[in-house]
Amino acid sequence: MPIKTVLIVEDDRFIGEMYVRSMQKAGYDVDWMIDGHDGLVAARNKVYDLLILDIMLPEMRGNEILHELRGGEGDDIPQSRVIVMTNFEQDDASRIAMEHDADAYLIKAEITPRKLLETIEQLDKLPPRA
Amino acid sequence: MVDTSQPKQHVRDFWPKARRRGIVLTIIMELLVAGILTLALFFSGINVDNIAFAIIIIAGIASSIGINLILAHMLMTPLKDLSAALTHVSGEPSDIIPPNSSAPSRKYDGLEPLIELIYKLSSQDTSSATPVAATEPTTDIVSRALAQTDAGVIICDEAGKVLYASAHAPIGEAADGSPELTMLFESPDTFENWLATARDQQVKSSHTWQRVADKIVGDPDRRIFDVFANYEKGSTAPVVLITVDRSSTYQPEDDQLDFISFAAHELRGPVTVIRGYLDVFREEVESPSMDADERATLLSRLVVSANRLSGYITNILNASRHDRQHLKINLREYTLPQVYAAIADDMSLRASTQNRLLSVQIPSDLPTIAADPSSLTEVLSNLIDNAIKYSNEGGTITVNASVDGEFVRVNVIDQGIGIPANVVSNLFHKFYRSHRSRETVAGTGIGLYISKAIVDGHGGIIEVKSEENKGSTFSFTVPIYATVAEKLTAAAGANDAIIRQGESGWIKNHAKYRG
Repeated sequence: MPIKTVLIVEDDRFIGEMYVRSMQKAGYDVDWMIDGHDGLVAARNKVYDLLILDIMLPEMRGNEILHELRGGEGDDIPQSRVIVMTNFEQDDASRIAMEHDADAYLIKAEITPRKLLETIEQLDKLPPRA
Repeated sequence: MVDTSQPKQHVRDFWPKARRRGIVLTIIMELLVAGILTLALFFSGINVDNIAFAIIIIAGIASSIGINLILAHMLMTPLKDLSAALTHVSGEPSDIIPPNSSAPSRKYDGLEPLIELIYKLSSQDTSSATPVAATEPTTDIVSRALAQTDAGVIICDEAGKVLYASAHAPIGEAADGSPELTMLFESPDTFENWLATARDQQVKSSHTWQRVADKIVGDPDRRIFDVFANYEKGSTAPVVLITVDRSSTYQPEDDQLDFISFAAHELRGPVTVIRGYLDVFREEVESPSMDADERATLLSRLVVSANRLSGYITNILNASRHDRQHLKINLREYTLPQVYAAIADDMSLRASTQNRLLSVQIPSDLPTIAADPSSLTEVLSNLIDNAIKYSNEGGTITVNASVDGEFVRVNVIDQGIGIPANVVSNLFHKFYRSHRSRETVAGTGIGLYISKAIVDGHGGIIEVKSEENKGSTFSFTVPIYATVAEKLTAAAGANDAIIRQGESGWIKNHAKYRG
């Protein structure tokens, strides 16, 4: 199933708007949450094809959201893809944990909106998770 | 009666003696054979004057000695291993390496059960060792002595289960409440891997790890250790770990790395926006789709991001100058509105592009201040930038100023998320990341650190009042020019410095600096 609905959790207004704008322009149906807690609630309330999570977020970090959804025993979002997008270099332990649960990991300063769209297209070509 | 003149026999002495005897006997036997052969030849009447014949005889005897020595060595090796095993379990001091019962050569010599039996028998004899158990603290002098040092001692069984841990050992609790090794070894060089290898392949093994932390990065109680481990098969204390707390050495290096990674995070924010929006603009150039307002908004954001980036870089450079005691502040007479004017446009733009209302209420009739304008604007823009960052969309940030004794006090007031009381006192430390940063934005902490240094350099104070979910007021003071004019003139005349000893370092007031 192609990626259509996207939830982005990003607290920086400039950065959030930039990605939302380019994803909408590319035809995706995008919801945007500013804080981590709202992001988790949104991800639980609706099934998104793709979650884009920042790490440094108010209320709850992106890695914690991911852990809530996909860590431990269950996978609450079996059909969703997850891109972790951050400017924060992780210590090894948390990065490895994240790599395990996420489908892609991007350093924001290293990419442009165009590159994000390319990454989404690449994820789209992968066989479905579930 | 015991003959005390006789030196005590040691187990460790057996093998050298046996080896010597083996070699001497082999050579004597060979020489005996050679002697008999020579006599036989002599009496047989065979002509032995031939040189070649003599050489053959001598070479034959020599090679026979060699071959027999090799044979003797091979036959005696198991004896050597057995004596080494016995020496090891005897507890006598020696540098003999105890044999490994599961070494490959054991397949041929069949010694494995014998060596294992020796180790097993010795491990059953516990009469000379003190039993250790976590539930049974050794109340002796050793435990108390260990508690006085920074070193920790942990004793584990062959499976790695903790049997005993001294007071300073970094030990956690398992789910069932039993003590557990919780140090964070880095894979693959972990304690478990080392122990598994040692257990399977060695009788004795030792290993050293450096920079092993007991808690994850960011935990305030994190300590960093060097760990020395010893393993001895069959011992009552098979695994002994000695931990040495080296946090004081490693922590500053880690803080430095932490600082770099947090500084990089802060710098990357504006870089992300600049790269991204330039990408958007390139598309716009290729196929225009925005109206003039939209374009203007995006451009403002580019400008704000570039300014912010430059501000962060100034902070980092000045913090570094400050740390090297090279930050110098040149105080001259200015009015506060004059100083603020330099950043007014930038601040308004930063606020408006992020949907904050910036209300600046600086009375025009304030007395003149003694200020280094470029430093003081750095303080103001750090405080306003923080207020924007940590307040809610649509919120108001107020900047006001008033006379406070011999100083002018400047307040930057936000109605943002506030700061819990327990972290307020740490906000101006270099490596302190506020609770907000840890959970939200990774501030380098450097903005407030350098702001404090600059305000100290002006002879003022910087402070914060905050209430969670209500907002924060950061305020700082700078001296009214008239109160310090004389001192400044004198200092400028001497072309020397007023050195102010602040809590966070010192700043030289140098007329030559910052032209």
